[in-house]
Amino acid sequence: MVSCSIENNVPVGHHRNWVHQIGIKGEFPTLGMSFEPGNCMHCDNPPCERVCPVGATYRRDDGIVMIDQDACIGCKYCIEACPYDARYFNEETGTTDKCTACVHRVYKGEEPACVATCIGNARHFGDLNDPKSEVSQLLATNDYYRLYEEAGTGPAIYYIYKGGRKA
Amino acid sequence: MTHEYHWGWLIVNYLFLAGVSAGAMATSGLANYLGGRKLENIGRIGAYVAPFPVLIGTGLLIFDLGRPERAWRLFAGVHWTSPMSIGSWLLTGFIVISLLYFLLWLPEKYQRFVRVPHRLKDMRHLRRWRPLNPTQNRQGKLILGGLGLPVSVGVGMYTGVLLGAIPARPFWNTPMVAQLFLFSAMSTGVGSILFIRSLLSEDHGTKAEHMLLNSMDSVLIVFEIFMIIPFLLHQTLSTWSHKEAVQLIMGGQYTLHFWLGVVVLGILTPLGIEIFELWNLVAKKHEPRVHLNLGLVSGGLVIVGGFILRYVFVYAGQVSHFLPHY
Repeated sequence: MVSCSIENNVPVGHHRNWVHQIGIKGEFPTLGMSFEPGNCMHCDNPPCERVCPVGATYRRDDGIVMIDQDACIGCKYCIEACPYDARYFNEETGTTDKCTACVHRVYKGEEPACVATCIGNARHFGDLNDPKSEVSQLLATNDYYRLYEEAGTGPAIYYIYKGGRKA
Repeated sequence: MTHEYHWGWLIVNYLFLAGVSAGAMATSGLANYLGGRKLENIGRIGAYVAPFPVLIGTGLLIFDLGRPERAWRLFAGVHWTSPMSIGSWLLTGFIVISLLYFLLWLPEKYQRFVRVPHRLKDMRHLRRWRPLNPTQNRQGKLILGGLGLPVSVGVGMYTGVLLGAIPARPFWNTPMVAQLFLFSAMSTGVGSILFIRSLLSEDHGTKAEHMLLNSMDSVLIVFEIFMIIPFLLHQTLSTWSHKEAVQLIMGGQYTLHFWLGVVVLGILTPLGIEIFELWNLVAKKHEPRVHLNLGLVSGGLVIVGGFILRYVFVYAGQVSHFLPHY
């Protein structure tokens, strides 16, 4: 969260990503605490894109969902439309903002800031269309879940979690 | 995934004001079509009311934008999947129609200022534009009133669709919201005319006027009840997220606003008064008495209730959300 805020100059009071505790797993004495990080899910079918009255939110061919900051009028409709509450209103620019998958770093061949700085190496970023990529390999060999998949948003953030989501 | 209120009082006011305008326009057009001279006062009050609340509301809406100077972008294209985009165009159409309609209803002495080209080739020569004669004025009112009716229904419904079209907010995400807002919009429009008619009438108004206003509004209020009941049922019997969302008005923080403000004050009380008035007008054939004070109360309460309805929906909807799996 800190590296994201620094990298993307996120105004104080807002975050582009978050980490939730999702409870305790197992039985005493073999207990474990689980965390669930999150950010914009870069959905295949983004509800935010659909409701934008000026077409400022768009999905790039590579799957990254972006906001055209020069087109956004700041109506905040998309903030309401996002089931993940991944968007915030940037009072400094008067527009809506969110995770860009650090697209400016990706251009340079670097990983997003949150991936690069995660000391537990828990985050991975890559091309799911390429079966040989690290992320494709991870999903091929591990259990995973996605958030509110049943809502039809097609989230592109996958959570690797042994045995699925529930404890 | 915490959620704050991003839409506040400006949006509440806007949704309410757009509804009043839509209702006033539809009522005026209908009264003019059905009653002509007999219901002229209703037609006139409605026409005088129609353009202005929505103009104020649109001002508030633009003021609520983070970048108000970019509001023109709304009209740079049509985004069919965005209710807000469709709504912007509907609102513009409504404002144009209601303003023209308003001009035609101005008293006769001002009609010489309302000039139109009588032949197509006069279009470019402003000096050849001529006022309408009384027949043309009457036709103009009928045409604009007729055009205004579907556009009014569109505006009234869109204010609800705007909220209902968002799956991420279970409190809003039911088709009933669009209908509820439509009937409420029409009802607040009738209510505002009833209120003003009762306020201004030295002559107590005619029986026909009060028959129309009271019967129209009581029917609309009954339709509202027909929407609220399935809304509550749908929400309670739907997914866990919907069930939790409806708790906001079934014991949660907006319970009192909804049940006292919307249901008792805005729906049941005015309905009771209006049915009493109708009974008065129908049953006592000789010397029907119109109670102007009651018209003020029922009209006023309908307006207040409509406002609280917008408040409850805008605020409660924003805190409702998909429940996490954990």
